[in-house]
Amino acid sequence: MDVPVREVIRPGSVAEALAALAARPDALAIAGGTDVLVQLRDGRKRAVTLVDLDRLGLTGIRESDEGIEIGAATPMDRIAADPRVRRLHPALAEAAGQIGAWPIQCRATLGGNLANASPAADTAPALLVEGALLTLASSVGERRVPVVEFFLAPGRSALAPAELILSVLLPTPSEARGLRAFESFVKVGSRREQIISMVSLAGRALVAGDGTLSEVRLAFGSVAPTPVRARRTERLLTGRRPDAELRRKAARVLQDDISPIDDVRAPAGYRRIACAVLLTRFLEEAARD
Amino acid sequence: MTERLTVTLTLNGERRTFEVPPGRRLLDLLRDDAGLTGSKEGCGAGECGACTVLLDGVPVTSCLVLAASADGHEVVTVEGLLQAGRLHPFQDSLVTRGGVQCGFCTPGIAVTGAAILARREADPSEQARLLSGNLCRCTGYTKVIDALRDSFAKGGHAKS
Repeated sequence: MDVPVREVIRPGSVAEALAALAARPDALAIAGGTDVLVQLRDGRKRAVTLVDLDRLGLTGIRESDEGIEIGAATPMDRIAADPRVRRLHPALAEAAGQIGAWPIQCRATLGGNLANASPAADTAPALLVEGALLTLASSVGERRVPVVEFFLAPGRSALAPAELILSVLLPTPSEARGLRAFESFVKVGSRREQIISMVSLAGRALVAGDGTLSEVRLAFGSVAPTPVRARRTERLLTGRRPDAELRRKAARVLQDDISPIDDVRAPAGYRRIACAVLLTRFLEEAARD
Repeated sequence: MTERLTVTLTLNGERRTFEVPPGRRLLDLLRDDAGLTGSKEGCGAGECGACTVLLDGVPVTSCLVLAASADGHEVVTVEGLLQAGRLHPFQDSLVTRGGVQCGFCTPGIAVTGAAILARREADPSEQARLLSGNLCRCTGYTKVIDALRDSFAKGGHAKS
């Protein structure tokens, strides 16, 4: 069945796309369409006009002085397979490879996953951990927004009306002599593939030879109105060695960093337990690796 | 909804132009406008994989692709897997191995399997991951996976 829209505009440049969006307050931007088409079909979103971002040249991954820059229209499959992303930002590569299933990963874009602003967006915890910076553009100009300031509420982001995400910058991670970087992404769902996360964790830490952690960054999905950093837990763990006692304490402190709710996918109580388990496993793996 | 949109794409190797309503999905363009009814609509939400086609060589669920977005791109459906009137090596293996029962998911599975062969992905657990977007309620997947491994062993990846 056709989706209920009256017009599809196919601009050939970012400037044209921004002008089209600015001129039509009821227009919706569409890239991969894997969220937008479902939402239009179900009536969860309405639009008279769709602005198709296919011809804007926003696809691709490049290296710059600042780090790795991923075009907003780059599909998950490309991100998951990119050797540079896999080496320097494995949590993001793993998250991209666990969204939907392969045909979705070949179509769903990084920008779309963020613009949709779902608390369950799998790339979001990874980008929080990477300290990613988003480049946004509107007809008045470009601005850079740290991903930590991007998510405001379920379905709501810092993206202004008629504004587009152009790219996502992953700053080059810091290194220190004698310290090993450990990074991972894990999600929990009722099935391994093709599932919306009940809970997800992206974590990164530098591990010293004796197991002492520094630069601990932990971010969780699906356990708060937005994807969240677990700041209290990070502070507790920083500069310490996570032995069994500290791991238990971290799992308790973590409960104050999150505010899960009951929904169709899982009860809040389950999410709290699952978060504690994911954190414990992350700390054990970080020590072992 | 009288407005029409022109969509030109390469469909199974042939350049074709369609005049469609703006909200048309690629799946409906294929089935209703191009008459290629191999691709099936199961869930209509990108979860079952019955409508999987290749878009610029990679598998996508055509129920979640706007026909307008496919303009200028290359689409291969299950009908396009035929080479000189012969089944794709993976389709051959599906037949030999009994990887087809009711058949509804088969076009999507054939397309994804052909893409796995084209990618030369030989790792069994990675093959299973790549196939996980194609749901089959009949076979239990074992014979589908067997068929994939057979066609790999026979060098199907070189021909696809």
